[in-house]
Amino acid sequence: MTRRRVSWTVMLGIGMVALILILAAVAPWLAPFDPLRMAVGPRLAAPQAGFWFGTDEFGRDLFSRVLCGARLSIGIGFVAITIGLVLGGVIGVLAAFSGRWVQALVLRALDVLYSFPDTLIALALVAFLGPGLSNATIAIAISLIPFYARVTFGLAAVERPKPYVEAARLAGVSHSRLLAVHVLPNISQTLIVMGTLGFSSAILSAAGLSFLGLGVQPPAPEWGAILAGGRNYLTKAPWILLCPGLAICLTVLSFNLIGDSWRDLVDPRRRGRS
Amino acid sequence: MYSGCHGFLLPTTVRRALARVVLAGVSSIVLGHGAARAADAPALVVARSVDADNLDPQKTANTQSLQITNLVFDTLLTMARDGSIHPGLAESWTAAPDGKSYSFILRDGLTCHDGTVFDAAAAKFSVDRAVNPETNNPNSAAWGPITATSVDHNTLTVNLSAPYAPFPAFLTSIQAAVICPSSVVGTAFKPIGTGPFKLVSWTRNDRITLEANPAYRNFNPLITNPGAPHIAKIEFAVIPEAVARMAALRSGEVQMAEPSLEETADLSKDKNFRVYASDLSGQQMVMAFTWKIKPLDNPDVRRAIGMALNRDAYRDIAFQGLVSTADCPVAPHLPATDEALCRSYGVSYDPVAAKALLAKAGYGPDKPLKVILSVHKLPGWDEMHQIMQQDLATIGVQADIETREVAAFFDHMKGENERTTGTPVVWTMGMSGVDPDYLSFLWKRPGFVNMGIGPELDGMLEDQRRLSGAARTEKIHEIDKYLLQNAYAVPLLSPGWGWLMASTTKVEGFKMGFMVSLLFNDVTVAP
Amino acid sequence: MLGAIARRLAASAATLIAVIILAGLLIHIVPGDPVTAMMAQSVTATPEVMAEMRRHLGLDLPVWQQVGLYLFHVVQGDLGLTIRGNEPVLTLLIQRLPNTFMLAVSGLGVALAIGLPLGFVAALNRNGLGDSVVMLIAVLGVSIPSFWLGLVLLQVFSLDLGWLPVAGSGWRNMILPALTLGVTYSALVARMTRSTVIEILGEDYVRTARARGLREWQVLSIHVLRPALINIVTVVGLVFAYLMGGQVIIENVFSWNGIGRLAIQAMLQRDYPLIQGFIIVFASSVVLVSVVLDILYRILDPRLSRP
Repeated sequence: MTRRRVSWTVMLGIGMVALILILAAVAPWLAPFDPLRMAVGPRLAAPQAGFWFGTDEFGRDLFSRVLCGARLSIGIGFVAITIGLVLGGVIGVLAAFSGRWVQALVLRALDVLYSFPDTLIALALVAFLGPGLSNATIAIAISLIPFYARVTFGLAAVERPKPYVEAARLAGVSHSRLLAVHVLPNISQTLIVMGTLGFSSAILSAAGLSFLGLGVQPPAPEWGAILAGGRNYLTKAPWILLCPGLAICLTVLSFNLIGDSWRDLVDPRRRGRS
Repeated sequence: MYSGCHGFLLPTTVRRALARVVLAGVSSIVLGHGAARAADAPALVVARSVDADNLDPQKTANTQSLQITNLVFDTLLTMARDGSIHPGLAESWTAAPDGKSYSFILRDGLTCHDGTVFDAAAAKFSVDRAVNPETNNPNSAAWGPITATSVDHNTLTVNLSAPYAPFPAFLTSIQAAVICPSSVVGTAFKPIGTGPFKLVSWTRNDRITLEANPAYRNFNPLITNPGAPHIAKIEFAVIPEAVARMAALRSGEVQMAEPSLEETADLSKDKNFRVYASDLSGQQMVMAFTWKIKPLDNPDVRRAIGMALNRDAYRDIAFQGLVSTADCPVAPHLPATDEALCRSYGVSYDPVAAKALLAKAGYGPDKPLKVILSVHKLPGWDEMHQIMQQDLATIGVQADIETREVAAFFDHMKGENERTTGTPVVWTMGMSGVDPDYLSFLWKRPGFVNMGIGPELDGMLEDQRRLSGAARTEKIHEIDKYLLQNAYAVPLLSPGWGWLMASTTKVEGFKMGFMVSLLFNDVTVAP
Repeated sequence: MLGAIARRLAASAATLIAVIILAGLLIHIVPGDPVTAMMAQSVTATPEVMAEMRRHLGLDLPVWQQVGLYLFHVVQGDLGLTIRGNEPVLTLLIQRLPNTFMLAVSGLGVALAIGLPLGFVAALNRNGLGDSVVMLIAVLGVSIPSFWLGLVLLQVFSLDLGWLPVAGSGWRNMILPALTLGVTYSALVARMTRSTVIEILGEDYVRTARARGLREWQVLSIHVLRPALINIVTVVGLVFAYLMGGQVIIENVFSWNGIGRLAIQAMLQRDYPLIQGFIIVFASSVVLVSVVLDILYRILDPRLSRP
C-alpha cells in the first residue's frame, strides 16, 4: 500500500483532539461553576448567557458538567487502553513466538472473544463486577484485549522470521529478553498508534455503560451518566441530552479521524485477506 | 450481456435458494403484520416500564408480576379503603379464640377460568402449595406458621402453631392469590384462577394479553361493577424507555401508561389525560445503616445523618411533588400507623444540630466521615440520592453513591449488613404491604438481607403477632419508637414506586388498590 | 474445497464447545449468589427456603461436575430454565432470535445502502476532496453513540412528527432501529469498500480493460463493482456480528423484543442460566453466519485456493 500524504481530515482530527485535551486540562479553571453543585442556577433553564448549555433538574450548570466530564471520559479511555494494550500486547507477542498448538489455541480463544462486540463484553463484565468508575474501566480494558492481542500477534508474527530475530537467538539471547528488548521496540510504534484507535471505542463503551446505569456513578459528570440522568427530559429540556451527546460525538469523531488513516495499515481483518 | 464474464454470478441453485429465503422473510413480515391487524383491536393497551417476571403468584414477590396475577386470581378475603376486612372467595370466616385456627366458608357456584369448580378443596390445594417448601414461595413466611389445612364440605380450616394476628389482613393482599388446582400440571404452571381476567398469552419482555372472564362475580369492596369487566381485553405492553412510553401515550398508540415522573405534572394539567396516584400503596421508603460497622454503631452518628436529610427537597425535586414525606417505619394509612407520634420519636431536618452531633462523635472538617451510599435504581430514587449526597456533604459526611439493579443490590446488602469492619454503608430501601407486620420480616433477626437488630426488638415483633386490637396497636407504636429513637431507620417518603398511572380521557373508571394493584373491573373505553 | 469446508466446520464446532465450557464456568467465576438474586424482591424469603433452592439448582455440586453436566445438557439442546419465571432458556432465546436477525439484516441493508456508495465515491476520488468529505461523513456516523441517536430519532419521528409507532413488532417499528444501526455501522462498510475498490483499481485486468478502450462506466461496473462486491461479502459477516451485538442497547430504546433486550434484562437481574444461554446462542449465530459466508465466498470466487 502506498503511503498517503496526511490529509486535511487527519489534520482536523489532530487539531480537535488537541483542543479537547487542552479544554479537559484547563477545565477546573475554565468551568464557571462547580459541576457537582446544585442550585447554582434555576432548574431546567434553557441555554442562555451565564449558563451556556443550560441547567439540569437540580439547577447544576451543564456547561461546567460537560467540560469537567471530558476529564472523566478521556481518563477512562486512557486507562482502559493502557491496560488493554499492555495485556493484549503481552498475549499477542507470546502467542506469536510460541509453538504451533499453543498458538492455535490462543488464536482460537481470541477469535471467540473477538466475535463478541467489545461493548457487549464490557457490559457482561460490569454486570458481574458491579458498577462504578473502576469496574467500568476494568471491564472496558478487558473488552479491548482481544483486539490488541490479535493486532500484536499479527505484527509480531511478521517479525518472527526476520533475520535479526534469528541472529539474536543464535547469539544466545533468552526468549523473554528477545521478546522484550528486540521484538517489542520494533512493533511498539505501531502499537501506540493502535492505542488511538481504541480511544473512540473505549469512550463509546464507557458512555453506553453509564447510560445503562452500570458505569460511572452519579453525580460524577461523565458524559454517558449525564445522558442517563437527563434521558427522561428529552421532551421538556432537550439540551440536557444534546450537549453531552454532541461532546461524545465530537470527541469520538476526532479520534476516529486520526485513527482512520492508520487503520488500513494494521487492521487484523484486512491483514488476513491480502 | 456480460453475465458470464467473470463467473462472479451466483450458481442457479444458490440463487433460487436465496430467493426463497428472501420471499419467505418478506411474506412473513407482511402477512404477520396483516394478521395482527385483522384480529379485533384490543380494548385497552397499557404500557409499563418493566414486565412481570413470573405469573405464578406463589413464586414471585415482584410488584409488576403481582399486578398481573391479581387480575387473574382472587383472594379469600378482601379489604375496604378503611382497612376493614371483608369476604372474598370465602363468604365468611371465623377465628378460634386462641388465635391458632381459622375457618373459611367458601362460596357456592364459583368456577375457574377453565370451567372447573372452585371449592374448599381447591382453596386447600392453593394454600398447601403456597406454604409447601418445595414450591419455593418467596412469600411463604407471610402466610404464617401454618401447620395443617383441612376441608369439610365447603369449609376450609387452617391451623397455626402460634397466633398470627395479621393473617386475615394478609389474605386480602396480592401476595395471597388463590390459584385453581388445574394451574399446576407436573412442574409446569398455567395461570388459571377465578379472577376478572383470563390469561390469553404472554411474550416475555413484550406483551401480556388478558381477556375478560364473562362469569366473574366481584366481592372486592373497592370495585363497584358486580359482574364481568366492561372491557373485553387488556394488553400490557413493555416499553422500558420512559420517553418512548410517554410518546406512545400521547400519540394514542396506548391508552394507559406508567408515566415518567418528569412528565406527570404536565399530563395532569393536560385536559386530554388523566393521572392516577395510589393512596393505598402501603409503600414506605426508609434509610437504614450497617450499624455493626463503626462509627454507625453510635446512635448519635445515625441521628446526625438522619438530621441532614432534606426530605422536602426529595419530595419536590426528585419526585416532582408527587409523594409525601412520611415519618413512620411503615407506610401511612396502614393500621396502627400514627404519623404524629412517629414524628415525636424520630429526628427532623436540622443540619446545624447534625454537625454538632458529629463533632461530638469526633468528626469535623479535618476528619470527615466517609460512607458509601448504597442504593438501587428506580425513577425518582436516583435523583433523591444525588440530593442526599449533597445534604450529607453539608454536614461534612462524604458519601460515595453505589447504584445497583434491585437483584444485585439486595444480594450485595446481604453481605454488607453482616460486616463489622470496613467502610460504613448508608442505604435506602422500600417496602409495601397491607399490615404493619412487614416490620417482622424486615427487622426480626436474621431479617431481610440480614438487617435484623437484636433480641429486644425480636421480642416486641413476636409479641405484636400474638396481640390484637388496641394492645397490638400499642406494641407497634413501641416498635416504631425503638426503631426511630435508636435511629436504626430514618423514614423518608411514601409511596415510592409504581404508584402512578396515566391514561387518555377515553379511559374511565380505572382505580388503584392496595399495594398498587391495578383494578380494571369498572373501566370503560370510549371509541 | 470440501476438505477446507470440513476443516472450517470442525474448527467452528470446537469453538462452540469452548464457548459452552466458558459459559458453564462463568457462574462460578463471578461474585454473588444466584439464589439471593432470585429472591431479591422478597422480603419474606427465609434462609431455609434459599438453602432448599440452592440444592434444587445443583449449586452444591463440585464445579467440574456442574460444568460437565452443563456441557452434557447443552449439547442435547437443553439450556436449562431461567431463574426468573422458570421458563426454558432455549425457547425464550429462539422466540426472539428471528426479531434480532430481522433487525440485524435490516440494519445491514441500511449500512450497505449508505456505506457501499460512499466507499465507491471515496475510492474513485482517492485522496481528493470527495474522498475526505465522504469518509468524514462515514466516520461521523460511527462516532454517534447509537443509544443517543436512537432517542433523538424517536423524539423527532415518533413524537414530533408522529410518522412512526413507538413500540411493537411490525415492520414500521423496525424502521427507526434499523436506521440507527445502519448509520452507526455504515462507516465500517464504507471503509472496507473504499480499500477494496482501491485495491482492485490497481489490478492489471482493470488497467487492461481501460487500455482496451472500454468506457469508464463499463470498466467500473464489470471489472470493479462485481469483484468488489464479492470481497465485501467477507466483511459482511463481521458487520453482521457487530450489528447483532450493537443491537443490545438499541433494542431497549425501541422496545424491540430481541435477544439483546432479554440479555440486558438477564444481566441486570443476574439470571445466570439466561446469560449463559445468550452467550451460547449469540456465539452460535455469529459462527454460523461466518461459516455460511465463508462457504459462499469460496463458491463465488473459485480462484481462492487458500486452505
